[in-house]
Parts: sequence; C-alpha cells; structure tokens
Amino acid sequence: MVDKSSNHPGEGGGGLSRRDLLVGAGTVLLAGGLAACGGSGGSTGGGGGAGTAAGAPKRGGTFRLGVTGGASSDIIDGQSIVNKPDQARLVSGWETLATYDENYKLTIGGEDGGLAEELTQDKPDQWTIRVRKGIEFNNGKTLSADDVKYSIQRILDPKEALYGHVGMASVDPNGIKVMDDVTVRLSLKQADSTIGDQLGQYYNGIVPVGYSRTGPLKWVGTGPFKTTSFSAGQQSSHKRNPNYWRSGQPYFDQVSIVDYADANSQVNALLSSQVDAITDIPFAQVNVAKSNGGLAVLVSQGGNWLPLCMAVDLAPFTDNRVRQAMRLIVDRKAMLEQVLSGYGRVANDLYSPFDPCFDTDLAPRDQDIEKAKSLLKSAGQENLKVDLWTTNGAAGMVDAATIFASQAKAAGVTVNVHNSPNFYSTQYLKVAFSSDFWGTRNFLPQVSNGSIHGAPYNETHWPPASGPGSNYASLYKQALAEVDESKRCDVIHEMQSIEYNYGGYIIPFFNDLVDSYSTKVAGFKPSKATLNLDSFGHGFRTIWFT
Amino acid sequence: MDSAQSGSPSAGFHPRLGGLAGFIVRRLLLGLLVLAIVSVVVFAATQALPGDPARAILGRSATPDSLKALREQLNLNRPVLTQYGDWVKGLVTGNLGTSLAAREPVSTYLHDRLVNSAFLVFLSAIISIPLSIAIGAYAALKRDRLFDSSASILTLLLAALPEFVVGVTLVVLFATTIFPHLLPGVSNIAPGTEPWTQLKEMILPTLTLVIAVTPYVARIMRASMIEVLESEYVEMARLKGVPEREVVVRHALPNALGPTFQVIAINLAYLAGGVIVVEYVFNYAGIGGALQNAVITRDLPVVQALAMLIAAVYVVLNLLADVATILVTPRLRTRL
Repeated sequence: MVDKSSNHPGEGGGGLSRRDLLVGAGTVLLAGGLAACGGSGGSTGGGGGAGTAAGAPKRGGTFRLGVTGGASSDIIDGQSIVNKPDQARLVSGWETLATYDENYKLTIGGEDGGLAEELTQDKPDQWTIRVRKGIEFNNGKTLSADDVKYSIQRILDPKEALYGHVGMASVDPNGIKVMDDVTVRLSLKQADSTIGDQLGQYYNGIVPVGYSRTGPLKWVGTGPFKTTSFSAGQQSSHKRNPNYWRSGQPYFDQVSIVDYADANSQVNALLSSQVDAITDIPFAQVNVAKSNGGLAVLVSQGGNWLPLCMAVDLAPFTDNRVRQAMRLIVDRKAMLEQVLSGYGRVANDLYSPFDPCFDTDLAPRDQDIEKAKSLLKSAGQENLKVDLWTTNGAAGMVDAATIFASQAKAAGVTVNVHNSPNFYSTQYLKVAFSSDFWGTRNFLPQVSNGSIHGAPYNETHWPPASGPGSNYASLYKQALAEVDESKRCDVIHEMQSIEYNYGGYIIPFFNDLVDSYSTKVAGFKPSKATLNLDSFGHGFRTIWFT
Repeated sequence: MDSAQSGSPSAGFHPRLGGLAGFIVRRLLLGLLVLAIVSVVVFAATQALPGDPARAILGRSATPDSLKALREQLNLNRPVLTQYGDWVKGLVTGNLGTSLAAREPVSTYLHDRLVNSAFLVFLSAIISIPLSIAIGAYAALKRDRLFDSSASILTLLLAALPEFVVGVTLVVLFATTIFPHLLPGVSNIAPGTEPWTQLKEMILPTLTLVIAVTPYVARIMRASMIEVLESEYVEMARLKGVPEREVVVRHALPNALGPTFQVIAINLAYLAGGVIVVEYVFNYAGIGGALQNAVITRDLPVVQALAMLIAAVYVVLNLLADVATILVTPRLRTRL
C-alpha cells in the first residue's frame, strides 16, 4: 500500500491489506490456514542459525531478495518510492550525500559517509555541500556540483511530488548556487538546521542532470548496482556497477528483487532456497526460521510508531486532563505483546527515539487507571464516550485501536472504534480521535511533517493556541536556527517536555524490524535503521556469499 | 441439459449440422446478452468500490493539486454514464484502457499474466480430465470392490480440502520441510519468460489444481457411469451378446460423458477464477495476482477487464460443454 511516512512504506501495510482483500474475496481461511500449516514446520525448538561466519568478503553470485508490500504501482526512482520494494531498488542504484550509521547517527564524509565530503551549515540559513572527487555514475559520467543542484531542484519541484519535498521546503530553489566543480551552496528561505539530516534520508538520492523516472537516464545513479530489468509488482534485476567508487564493493555480480504478495509464500521461498533473504518475516514464523539451521533472523531496532492521535483543539481533548488520562489508560507492555508479539520497545508518547537530542530522562508512562479516573472526574468527563477512527493503513494499526478501546473500559471510558476504508480521504486530520502510522525520523524533521501548524499531517492539531505549549512554535523556530548542536538539544528537550506533559499523541511503542536470511549470506548487522535488513545490506554492498 | 430445451423442439427433419450451428449461434447471442448484463454489473460494482483511485495511486503524500490533476488525467471527473459508454466501446474494439497503477495499456499489462494463467489451467486440465474420467469409469466398473471404495474415500477426502490446504501441504512436503529443496516452493516465472520453459516451477501449482478438480469430476463420472451401466439399453446390449469391452466403450462411456462434460466445464470455469488462491500460495505471476493487486490499488480498468474475461470464460465453457453433450447424446441432437 501507499504510505505517507516516507521511511516505512508498507511496513506490514501491504501484507495486511492483501490479507484483507482475501477476506473480502471470501477466502478468509487462507491466511489462518497458511499460518497454521507454516507453523507446523518448526517442531524442534532451540536457537541456531544466528551466527554468520565472518571472514573476508568474497566476490560473486546472484543475491535474491524477497519483499512483501509491492504492487503493480511499484516504481524505480532515485528520489522516490511508493511501495516497500521500491526502497530496496532505490538503495541498490542511488546514494545520498550523507548516511546514517548503525546507531542512526548522521555520518558525513570519511570512510562510511555518503557522496559528500563535507556538508556544513555555515549560517542558520545557509548550507554548503562539497562532493567527493572522482565518483562516477554507472554510465561513466563524473559526479559534479551540477548533478547535486539538479537533484535538489528536482526534490523541490512540487510537480514531481517526491518524498523529500516536505523536509526540504526551506531550501530556496533559486538559491542553489554551484561554486565550483564539487561545491554547491544552498540559501534557505528560513533558518533550518535539519538540511544535513534531510540529505541523509535514503530517498533524497543524487541523480544526474537530466534525470527523470521514465527518461533515458532513468536507471543512472552512483549506487553499487545498475537496474537491468524491472517489472512492477513482480521482480527486477540489477547488475554490479563496475564504476562503483568504494573499493572492492559490491561483492555480488547480480541482485534480483522479487515481490511477494503473501508473507507466508515468501517464507516458503526462503525455506526452499529460492531467495536468500526476506523482509518482515511474520512473527509466527520467527521460530520456524530460528530452528532451521540454514536461516538466521535479523532483529533491528526500528523507529516506526503507530500513534493514537488526539486533536488538542477538539472536544473532549481541549482539556489536557483528558489527554493525560487517556495516556495513563494504556498498558503499553500488554499492547506491545498483543500487536507485535513483543518485537518492539515501549514508548512514552514521544517520537524520534534515535534523535541524538532525544530526552531519555523523561520517565516511562505506566498504566495508572486510578489516576486516569480522577483526572477525568476533575475534568467533568466521567463515563466519557469517544469515537476512534482507524483503518488498515499499516499492520497493527487497527489492533492498537481496538486494544486501546478494551483497556479504556477499566477507566470507565467507552471508545467506539470505527474501521473506515476511506479513513485517509474523509476522517484523517479532521476528527478528534484517530490513529495513524509513521516511519523513523529525527525530531525536527518529524515536527515539520506532523507536529506544527502548516505541517501536512498535523493529526493532533498541535500545538495549542493558548496556555502551556503555545510557545512550542517559537521554540521550533529557535531550534531550526540553532547551529550549535548542544544548544539545539536544550531547545528540543524543552519541546519534548511540553509534548510529554501536554501533547496530543499516545505513542505506545516503537516497532522492531524482523527479517530473515540464509546463513550463506554474511555481512548483515543489526542496526537502528529506517529500512529492513540492515538497510538492505547498505544497498547490497556490505553483504556477500560465504 | 436445459440448453436442449431452449432449442426449438421440432418433430420435423433437420439437417444435423445446421441444427447444431443454429444452436451455437443462438447460444452465442445469448452469451453476448449475458456479457452485456455482466458489464453493467461489473462497472457498477467497481464504481462502488470504496476509496479513490487517484488517492490510492498517489499515496497519502498526495497534495490536493496533484490529486486534481491525476483525476483529470484518468478521466475520473466525467459523468459515470460517459465513462461506461467509453469503456464498453473500448471493450468492443479491444482497447481495454490503461492500468491506473502500472501506467501501461491493460492488454500489455495482462498479456504475460494471461499466458501464465492459461498455461497453468491448460496443464491442469489435460492432466485432470482424462485422469478423472478414467478413475470414475473404472470405479463404476469395479463398483463396491476395493478400487471403488478406496477411490471413493480418497476423492471424498480430497474434495473436502480447500486448494490452499492442498497447496501448502505440498509445499511443506516437497519444498520446505519434509523433503526440502526437492521442488520449488514458489513459482517465480520471471517477466518476459515463458512458463513452459520452466516446467519444474509448474509442478506444485499444477498438482494442486489437479487435486482440487479431479475428485469432483471423478465422482460425477462414477455416478453417471453407474446409472448408464444399469440402464436397459446396456442390459439389452449385454443380452444380445455384445462383448463387455464394446458395451463399455461404445454404449456406456459416451452416454456417461454427457453429464460429466457439464461438471468439467464448471470446474474449468472455476479454475479460471480459482487459480487466484493457488497463484497466491505459489506467488505465481498470473491473472489471480493481477486481480488481487488491482483491487488493492483501485486499478479499475484491470479489475473490469479481468471480471469481464472471467465471465466470458464461463459463457464460452458452458457453451462448449453443451455442444459436447449434444454431440455425445444422439437423443439431444435430434431435438435441436
């Protein structure tokens, strides 16, 4: 399915919708039957299969990846995605100016950085980019400042409707200046300290001048592989880019990426060695994979979240006591177990856990029904009845809503859950109480997407117009303008504390990414990541066949 | 079957072929009428699908402007009747429109998948039809003996199993768990390659469909054969001293096949739609996957084209079954 949270399209969303379709098609038994039968495979318990032999990387072979969540609307674009398989195809062929390391720390230059040698905020409203010399696109053309300028202008072009558009909005499309062969200067419309962060997002890839999704340069990038064939919703082939700039990499001769409609047939493909790795193994199948000596399971901390959203300017949530009561109703650990089989981490209503400025001192929020009741009583909202709108936008979204409704009963709150197929065109952003899903982002980019007036997905109608928290917008501006990181962190801590005490989000947990691969493949590392399978083995270049 | 009654009962002499040809023409016209009605139903139903195709294609990142532009581009803003008119015109002229999700002509988009699905159905049919007729006929001949009772139990058991159970069981048996890596557990027919060049990938899906279809046909064949074997003309033939082999082959079999053809037709038509589940289990790139995909992405032209196609397959197979029934049943032939 499609997804607005750029980082995690179809994180289970595809699978879920497919399943729903089958339910609609009258084959409701299919999913259960498959799960049950598949489960019977793993009779022997025990671990195994976790350790991959290290040793020096070896060249050669065709790596086959299975991905769910694709459809005939799949695309290949160096700067955009629609479905999850598009992510894998993007990172195989294109690279960004900066990268994220395994702790989700932005890395610029050096051995592990991206295409930029330097990426600096000279002034609050000015950034300078210097690309590495001598990098070639897969058609032999040398990467230059012109390509960077073209790439950023393409992201900013509203007609292209690319993913990076919202996050880069502060860049003035007419203020991108080529200083010399390798240097570009960005003048901003307003101060923005997140541009470096944005240019590290995997979907803001660097494309050559003249690039378009369907034009003659459609498969030209600097990435480790070059696409050779692509059939949307089915599969694609990619061959090694001989011009690739990191010495020795990539190791495979070819990569093929196969779409799977069903997560269970994807597991079957892995078990029968028809693919070498798969994304998002169903939780029920994790033990099957673990007990199979030839397979390993890769669990990476993800920053995805499934919030319940209370609009702070709509009744009954205009009263902060009601919002706090709703947050105290949640038994987060139980919900994590029920929705994700425990594959995740409990959250305390704050997003962006990987942000270097994330305030880890704010306490966990445990369930406290008595306190919730007394807050509701003091707000005059005993026996509160409220409608909660949701849809099958991502795996677990409806589950989280219904589990919340059942937990709320203990506090005397009646939550009517409405699962609306037209949620995103009719209720989303309009109703008082809704649910949604988001990918991994750092704090300020997330605020620009969903937690400030004027943001495209401001589902909690945040911040409040008056009272505590009404200074949030000015703090946000201050943080964007702050060049010094530690001072910026102080401002962000203040913003997070406001959201912790007065915010409209209920964020029960963050998802983990659970993938599986054949032990013939080495090089995968569990990392704090946006993308599955260690960011698809960093674009299929840090993994190899043993 | 009732097709026989729909032909004009005439006492007079008719040239046999002319009668049959007339019947076929009448049935074809009737089939077109059925398809016309189906087209209205399909169009109305797809219009009633929840959700907006433009939004489904663009994703939630869609801005109001890009939504508006896409709706215009896809002609979603025009009156429903105009859209229907254009669609039917396209159907008649073979222009099925453009897939909203894949952004290519529906005929191009579906071509490979149609070939894949047709080959899967074809393989299943040429294996399951003779097999089921043979099993049914032999069971009838050996009525109440060991072969009959064991075939009876087995077919009843298999008929009760849904295809996905059969499919998954076969995968567990031959691909993943019991005999791992013996056969491919999923069938990745790479785009641009023909399924008949990858027969190994075809084995499990074909076997699944054969197991799904054979029991029904075999059971009907057995019942029909038993009825014929007990009929007076078979008894008469035997009394006249016709060798048993000839009794079975010349007199009993053709008469028993009539009702069986109807069941075969229904099963084949069912295969055309029923491959969806099997294709899903084996990730087989056919029309089943395309239909499922199209519903998810609100790809109306593809949904409509496939619904019409499956309806047409039903009409044609029913017609073929009726013609075959008439050909093996002289009694019906004379009544045309």
